[in-house]
Amino acid sequence: MISFFLMLSYFFEKKNVMITGIAIGYILWAVLLLFAFLARSGWKIWLIYLLLITLFVLPHLLNA
Amino acid sequence: MNNRNYNIYFSTHTVSGIIICALLYVIFFAGSFSFFKDEISAWQSGTSNVSTEQPTFPYRTMLDSLDTEYNLAGRDVFFYFYPNSPKTYVSFTPSQDTLHNQKAKERKYFTYNSITKKETSYKEAYDVGEFLYRLHFLAQLNQVPIRIGYPFGYLVAGLVAFLFLFALITGLLLHWDKLVSNFFVFRPWSKWKTVWTDIHTALGVIGFPFQFVFAFTGVILIVNTVFLTPFSKLLYQGKMDKIYEDLEYTTTIESPFQNKPLHTIPDLQTWVQRAQQQWPDAFLKRVTIKNYGDLSMRLAVEFEAPTHQRFAGTGIIIYDLSNGKIIQQRSPYDSPTYIGAIKSFIYHLHFGDYGGYFVKIINFIMGIMGCVVIVSGILIWLVARDKKNVPAHKRKFNAWLAQIFIAICLSMFPVTALTFIAVKITGNSGQSFIYPVYFYSWLAFTLYYILRRNLNRTNRETLLVGALLSLAVPIVNGVFGKVWLWQSYAIGATDIFFIDLFWLFISVITFMAYLKVVKRHHRPVEKQLLPVQQHNEISTLV
Repeated sequence: MISFFLMLSYFFEKKNVMITGIAIGYILWAVLLLFAFLARSGWKIWLIYLLLITLFVLPHLLNA
Repeated sequence: MNNRNYNIYFSTHTVSGIIICALLYVIFFAGSFSFFKDEISAWQSGTSNVSTEQPTFPYRTMLDSLDTEYNLAGRDVFFYFYPNSPKTYVSFTPSQDTLHNQKAKERKYFTYNSITKKETSYKEAYDVGEFLYRLHFLAQLNQVPIRIGYPFGYLVAGLVAFLFLFALITGLLLHWDKLVSNFFVFRPWSKWKTVWTDIHTALGVIGFPFQFVFAFTGVILIVNTVFLTPFSKLLYQGKMDKIYEDLEYTTTIESPFQNKPLHTIPDLQTWVQRAQQQWPDAFLKRVTIKNYGDLSMRLAVEFEAPTHQRFAGTGIIIYDLSNGKIIQQRSPYDSPTYIGAIKSFIYHLHFGDYGGYFVKIINFIMGIMGCVVIVSGILIWLVARDKKNVPAHKRKFNAWLAQIFIAICLSMFPVTALTFIAVKITGNSGQSFIYPVYFYSWLAFTLYYILRRNLNRTNRETLLVGALLSLAVPIVNGVFGKVWLWQSYAIGATDIFFIDLFWLFISVITFMAYLKVVKRHHRPVEKQLLPVQQHNEISTLV
């Protein structure tokens, strides 16, 4: 969730992204938590989440 | 929906629900009363904010007396005006002029009441309104000595709010398929489990939009640091204050201390009035004086647009007091920034302060309905596990847990009414009085009902005691506060009148509920109820 908004902050004004994140981030977080429960395999969802995190963090890492 | 998903929603909903239920009940109950925080404060002090003329804040005398006592030179001074209240929060920082100012390191903050003209410390100014308001985000738990880098109570409240959000989402998905068909189902004369399930579902679904709004705004208001901390590390080099400034939580007035005193210190009263004349209807929120008495002295006056005109709107004027020029100006009636709009939206949604008593009352009813949903949830949880195939020791544990939760929850009602009465009779207030009265009587009630181990009795008696105590609230205000209902109505003190009338209504409604419960209790029990009833006498709540 954090990494998703971090990625967005490279495309939009960062303070606007932050306030958007404050507003909908927790809902997104709760939904992600639910997806983890719905997953058929714990390993698979870990893998998917880790992949997504890496994808979202990329712009930050490349910039730093 | 396939069975597997249904089971997952069901289990996650149950587990997250039973973990947070008691705390969530406290949050809901105290939160429902907090919609009337200002009215409760007015009721307790006996000075209405509606009928009493609000005196203007005495900047001149206040600053003079502070200056003689503490030497304000080189300090920043803040006045924060509580909305709908004669109270102002006054504070000043240590002075930057450490050479000439003897008391440079001292700092102070206190509450000033412009009707009684008295200064009180925060703890002394603490009233029942403030207590219930703080209880609804568990601020009192902050005093528990568990150091984790964030106030303990706020953290717990945040966690509860987040799990609540999660439970709401799973609960909605759980009922998604039968949302419409079950909406009209209520079978009060059927098995107990069905009764609880119907209450839980029907009220839960009706109240869903309301509860969702409060869960999501609540979690944001209490723990937005969880979200912001990583960002401050990644994008702001760990500068939290920079984030707060960017997000318009704080206004920084850039004006470095020059250490050259001003010849004459301007009269701040006229300056504030000059600012006020620009937008006479706007609410004066905060006055900041930067570097008092220095050449770099600045005055910032912040306003908020009245909520009946605009949902979001903050205005500010900053004056350079060395030459009287306006440095920065923003009207509260300008269209707000994206950030300002979102923040006001969240804030006003949560505080319900945009539509007068109507919105507040609706919100109160929805909040109490939330309490009913929580209690019925606990009872479903208990009754569903109260079967022959469940081992005895588990059943025992479950029964105890439900007893404890229900005792904590239901005794909150009489205890709250009792505290209202106690502050009025004794005339005492402040943290040192309200804490023991509320928490010890709560503990006593809870222990008593845990030991009685009878859910039906807990419900019946808290309803009756609560109804009687609620009835006593307006009477006590008449006898000890010397303001009877008709008097407060006659002088136009609508806030005081409202609180008395409000308790009267609560009393009537809970008394009716009590009579219903008793009638049902004595009715010959239908056969199908027997297994449950022998084990646990549970009765309906509503």
